[in-house]
Amino acid sequence: MSLHWLKVAAAGSVAAIALASAAYAQTVRVTVAEYSSKTGAYFEKAAAEFEAANPGTDIQIEVVPWDVLQQKLTTDISGGANADLAIIGTRWLIDYVSQGIAAPLDGYITDEFKGRFIDTFLSPSVMDGKTYGLPIAASARAMYYNKDLFEKAGVGAPPANWDELKAAAEKIKALGGDVYGYGLQGKEIETDVYFYYAFWSQGGNLIDADGTSGLDSEAAYKAAEIYKDLIDSGLTEPGVTSLNREDVQNLFKQGRVGMMITAPFLSNQIKEEAPDLKYGVAAIPAGANGDRGTYGVTDSIIMFENSQNKDTAWKFLDFIFTTDKRAEFDANEGFLPVNAEEAKMPMFADNADLKEFAALLPDARFAPVIAGWEEIAAVTSNALQKIYLGEGEIKATLDAAAAEIDGIIAANK
Amino acid sequence: MNRSIFTNPYVLIAPAFLLAAFIILWPLFQIGEISLSNVNRFGQLKGFAGLENFAAVVSDPQFLAAGWRTVIWTVGIVAGTILVSIPVALILNEDFYGRGLARIIVMLPWAVSLTMTAIVWRWALSGESGMLNSALKGLGLIDQNIQWLAQAATAFPVQITIGILVSIPFTTTIFLGGLSSIPDDLYEAAKLEGASGWQIFFSITLPLLRPFINIAVVMNTISVFNSFPIIWATTQGGPANSTDILVTYLYKLGFSFGKLGEASALSLMMFALLLVFTIIYVRLAMRGERA
Amino acid sequence: MKISRKLKRSILSWVVLSPLIVAVLFPFAVMFITAIKPATEVLKPTWWPSTPQWQNFITMWNATNFGAALWNSVYVAVLSTLISVFVSIPAAYALSRFRFAGKGFVQQFLLVSQMLSPIVLVIGLFRLLVALKLLDNLNAVVFVYATFNIAFSVWMLQSYFSTIPKDLEEAAWMEGATPWQALRKVFLPLALPAMTVTAIFSFINAWNEFVIALTMLRNQASYTLPIQVFSLVAGRYTVEWHHVMAAAFVATIPVAVIFAWLQRYLVRGLALGAVK
Repeated sequence: MSLHWLKVAAAGSVAAIALASAAYAQTVRVTVAEYSSKTGAYFEKAAAEFEAANPGTDIQIEVVPWDVLQQKLTTDISGGANADLAIIGTRWLIDYVSQGIAAPLDGYITDEFKGRFIDTFLSPSVMDGKTYGLPIAASARAMYYNKDLFEKAGVGAPPANWDELKAAAEKIKALGGDVYGYGLQGKEIETDVYFYYAFWSQGGNLIDADGTSGLDSEAAYKAAEIYKDLIDSGLTEPGVTSLNREDVQNLFKQGRVGMMITAPFLSNQIKEEAPDLKYGVAAIPAGANGDRGTYGVTDSIIMFENSQNKDTAWKFLDFIFTTDKRAEFDANEGFLPVNAEEAKMPMFADNADLKEFAALLPDARFAPVIAGWEEIAAVTSNALQKIYLGEGEIKATLDAAAAEIDGIIAANK
Repeated sequence: MNRSIFTNPYVLIAPAFLLAAFIILWPLFQIGEISLSNVNRFGQLKGFAGLENFAAVVSDPQFLAAGWRTVIWTVGIVAGTILVSIPVALILNEDFYGRGLARIIVMLPWAVSLTMTAIVWRWALSGESGMLNSALKGLGLIDQNIQWLAQAATAFPVQITIGILVSIPFTTTIFLGGLSSIPDDLYEAAKLEGASGWQIFFSITLPLLRPFINIAVVMNTISVFNSFPIIWATTQGGPANSTDILVTYLYKLGFSFGKLGEASALSLMMFALLLVFTIIYVRLAMRGERA
Repeated sequence: MKISRKLKRSILSWVVLSPLIVAVLFPFAVMFITAIKPATEVLKPTWWPSTPQWQNFITMWNATNFGAALWNSVYVAVLSTLISVFVSIPAAYALSRFRFAGKGFVQQFLLVSQMLSPIVLVIGLFRLLVALKLLDNLNAVVFVYATFNIAFSVWMLQSYFSTIPKDLEEAAWMEGATPWQALRKVFLPLALPAMTVTAIFSFINAWNEFVIALTMLRNQASYTLPIQVFSLVAGRYTVEWHHVMAAAFVATIPVAVIFAWLQRYLVRGLALGAVK
């Protein structure tokens, strides 16, 4: 049995599937990441509206849980059975571009279409001057604080810097009971990001000008010291390495954490699950020099280069990026508007929480566009967990992580 | 004897063998091909790589650490399961009130998919809002919340315990089967000779149970070695890779970091490891049985 | 006197088993109690809700599209079990009745084929299904489960078949029965318990399987129960835990009922099956 023969057979059958479906109708398959229980329903509805307006088209929505999205996309592409459109984390996009998986959209994008977007959110999807994805979901991070706890502890205003944050956390801890000052995430996705808030405020950069990791810098040591000090002083929740983002948010919803940094969708959750909680949203604490950074993150929807129905797929993209469809989506999920017209709508423009997030956007930093970013993030998270657990000395651990990251960067060049 | 397709072993075996071979060999062949190739993160082959992928895996310190932990994980769960299952099976083999109910309860973990069990445990183990801590507090066993999953020192033993719990149903079932095949007259004869309970256990029950213990060891080792959901759902191998075993390391390599070539090489090495273990064990067990 | 001895033994047995029983029932208790909590109390680690919310089960059923997933699971588990048992019986029969060249190889191959975990094989399997044009199809999952279970089924059945005396079939041949008649009238009835047991193993494997279903099934309409429940938990920004737990709890009931019904059978069938 020759390898070549098998490959030909496999390729032939894939092509046959594609041909068969093309002849039947203008079918467009869309892989959609599931953000909440509303995501699937939203896209099904959008597909139905689009099909009604465009007879002869068939939009198939495939909803995939976030945790397994990467695995599913990898397997799909590896088997040559990927959809026409897919939502991906924008930080993965470089791999899709460099391997020729994602199709450039510039041929379709008109000036009018481009004008719909807030540039901050569209630019991460632009590589080498070409647009490879459209920002389907955007968020930034800000600090949530519990107004009741602040009042009881006698803290007047949300802390502007890390010293004030520590002082506020001490006062909240002094209240006794099982409340904690600062909610610190130490597990799973974005453990590294939670550290970057402190890191950026010290003037740090994830990737230095010479293209190497910035973790072996004074800013990183200082940031790690700030967090380690909070942990050792009992000002965070106990066992930080066992709490992921949702766990810390849950503590906040229960009114057991004074402050935490997270994304705008927490507001939506509080509205539904803990409507009595009095909370405020404020800027992320700044460093001694007034440096401040928030994490900006977008997910992109991309078109696959091997799609057989690019024109119809584009029409569908055009449809879901109209102002009304975007507003519906963002209101459901609690994301930031990516569309300029949409941002002016009262439900976004008059939302006090969202204003705080929008105000931070000039300080927003996105994950660096380098191959292997997921692995670099994992190395960083591991180093931080060691530090949080007291299993590694700060400088040595961060230096080792930086060296490992430099190795990854070099290997991917 | 009549000639018939029902007496031709090759005809009878063909469908089962071909299907089983097909579903194993084709994917295995693909993995072999990927492991010897340069491959991008989407599984597309970009030329021959020789043994580079294997070398990369072996030189990763994570590989050795995870490998060593896999040994602890497998030995811990298999040994623990056998040690618990033997007395449980002995009890469940006796006639007592409510035995049917007891058997059903012991088998219950089998009725839930492992993924779900693991998710429920993660939820219950949460330090601040987990029901395990609140139960232990309520019983007065602890007075402060234990952060079970915050460090490997507590997380890994808990994960092994969960592994034992979910392996007990299958193992106990095998042992119950073994016990019911031991003829009663053997026991009666031993009692007449005045043998104590321990003597009966060591001289009759244990030797006769031995083939079943061997089956349980081999089958459990195969499934525990490859078991993914418990660790993945509770800690994802963290904090700082301190609870990674080979399978979780493999998943990270392949699907989080997109190193499909290395992941394929690793999966072949894991397969070889398991194969070698089984061959050695079966040899030793067979020699023991003959003696 | 005799009764009181049994009573004593019963008390002792339950006392010795109690730590295990507590450990086994603990996750079920967590599932059940969380399932009947009101949404606002789910995150508090109390052991009893202020007011049990039985309607959670109904809202869960609708919110998670539980009925469809239940049907998919039943369909996949039953069909794959039937296929694997049907294909395995002749093979096991041949292995237990005939000496032939390559027999040892077949037996070893079957054991070895158990050693590859689905996670290891998933990419290869996926490519296989793409090549066979079987993607996004419940029947593809049926096919994979059935073939995956063949090795174990043959192995189980064969060792059991070996314990059924050959004389009975030979006697039937003497009386002029064809091999098929001898099989059908004499052998198969005797082999029924083993077939049942093997079927249960296959059924449980299929019912609980996760990785393959996750990779092969594309749209929510074809999701089986483990995937459906998992998609409620994985990576959503907020998890409706009371619904997740209610779904997990309800999903275990069908299998628990099967256990209750067949537990004697299970033990007896295995007893004979495992002895070679």
